[in-house]
Amino acid sequence: MPIDYQQIFTQIKEIGKGAKERRKKKEEAQAFARELLAVYDSQLDLLRSKVDSAKQADSNIRCALPINENLASSHPIPASVTQATLIAADGSQINPDRHAAIQFCVVNVGAIQMKINSGETPEIFTDTELLYGDDLLPNGFPLSDGLVALKRDLAERTKLEILSKGLKGSVVTFTDGPIELWGAKGEDASSYEAYVQKYLGVLSRLQTNGVITAGYVDKPSADLVVRLLEIASADSEQIKKIREFHPLRSVSDRWLFGGQKNPLLPPGHRSAVFGIQSTSEKKYTGVLSLHFFYLNVGAEGHPWPVRVEIPKWVADDKTKLDLLHGVLVGQCRMMGSKPYPYLLHRAHETAVVKNEEKQQIEQLLAMELRNQDEEMDDMSNKSSAKGLKGRTRR
Amino acid sequence: MTQQIEIGRLLQAGTTGFVAGCRVNQLDAPMFGALVRAPLSDNYQVYGLIHEIHIDDDGLVRQLVTSNNVSDDVMRDNRENRIVPVEMSVLAVGYEQDGKVHHLLPPRPPLSLDVIYLCDEKDLVRFTSAGRFGYFRHILGAQEIPIGEALAAHLSQAEKAHGKGGGIWKEQAIAELISLLRDDYPTLMSVLGALGEAI
Repeated sequence: MPIDYQQIFTQIKEIGKGAKERRKKKEEAQAFARELLAVYDSQLDLLRSKVDSAKQADSNIRCALPINENLASSHPIPASVTQATLIAADGSQINPDRHAAIQFCVVNVGAIQMKINSGETPEIFTDTELLYGDDLLPNGFPLSDGLVALKRDLAERTKLEILSKGLKGSVVTFTDGPIELWGAKGEDASSYEAYVQKYLGVLSRLQTNGVITAGYVDKPSADLVVRLLEIASADSEQIKKIREFHPLRSVSDRWLFGGQKNPLLPPGHRSAVFGIQSTSEKKYTGVLSLHFFYLNVGAEGHPWPVRVEIPKWVADDKTKLDLLHGVLVGQCRMMGSKPYPYLLHRAHETAVVKNEEKQQIEQLLAMELRNQDEEMDDMSNKSSAKGLKGRTRR
Repeated sequence: MTQQIEIGRLLQAGTTGFVAGCRVNQLDAPMFGALVRAPLSDNYQVYGLIHEIHIDDDGLVRQLVTSNNVSDDVMRDNRENRIVPVEMSVLAVGYEQDGKVHHLLPPRPPLSLDVIYLCDEKDLVRFTSAGRFGYFRHILGAQEIPIGEALAAHLSQAEKAHGKGGGIWKEQAIAELISLLRDDYPTLMSVLGALGEAI
């Protein structure tokens, strides 16, 4: 019996007992958040100065930064997009497995390019990179899962840059997830830094070429606007201890902009564009500085707010912003009851590496190494034992 | 030399039939009731009758049908890029060995990925003229296929292929069917009903 269901059952009952209390707290916090949103809606200068004060107290503070649109503003979907080239990219990877017989890594990027109303069939692209031997030890450190993810993110954005080069007319590119690179900072700092610099170079070239680029975050969990409201409500003493100050902990940005009852954003509407106040502001500077808006891609009665990350050069250009807004809503509506950009789903379908493919690559690599008389290691005993067929349970 | 029309490749096979797959954009050629052939070597090929054309769904297609916004671009992407094959179920009705057509089950079935061709009119005439409609046995004995509809489609296509002699050939074919089904009144009525619609 792998799970003690008796213990689980008791714990579930305990969770259930607290539901009423949690709901009451949550509703109070939600009402307070709405109140704060109304009070500070147009006080953008005050909010920016409060964020500055919070930054003095905690340099790692992460929140939304108002730019020039009111906090609670809502912007309808612009005219439908009739002409543009859309490119989406997604990546997947096989991480190095120290328990496997052969150490290798694969980064696979799938991309799809669609010219709206062109009559042309969308084009599909795949780039696969196999890493082996010294490639798995950048700067002498074993390639971690975090670094592989960075490599994949860089490859995705690079693919967008390559495909968009030389295209005429408006070009909208997007990937799944934030634009900001994440992870691996502590593991191999110099490798992380190198990837970030390459990534910033790619973003700069996209900007030079006038290409719109965005990161689409489905079901976002970062409550950047709620954090801004918390900072707004803090007095000077609370600002000093802002890291511990969370009066709206149970409120989410998703609820604020797209709660089931009375969502701030009607279907197809976007929120104000905000800057992102975070430590990454030191890296993403000038036209590359990171911004975002929320977008309700859901339907009447079924709101579905997502976060769209954009660089400043897109945020500052109303035409580009409107085009991106229209494209994303159109893409999501293609998917019917579960809105998500069609092309991102197709890029994912193209990129995803299945377990059978992993095994095939492993076999091909093993065959080649054996043919070349290279010494082969064995799978770890732990991994071997895990692969044993279990006893069938009735 | 007549142009060979490739309609797909073999997915799975058995002695009594096989399943071929093609891309959606290859779907112009195959038709319900059409005679197809799978050449296995220079002197051996298997003949079959298409009795089912099937397009499977998948998760994405299921989701897209709930949307009112399926653009032409998305249609083309799904039909030409996504690997969702059209499947054709084929009933084995005979084979040809060393230039001689047999209305018997093939000694061995075609193999995976063998190319399946649509029979042209010449092939159709040659196959249907050989012997005395022995291949009707296989069609009438196949419980899982819509017998009347398949026969009606086949007879109509074969009549056209026979040209001037098509009428006589069809009369003989119907007479043979009546003879074969004389003890199976419900099937006979179903076949004649379908044939009546096709005339």
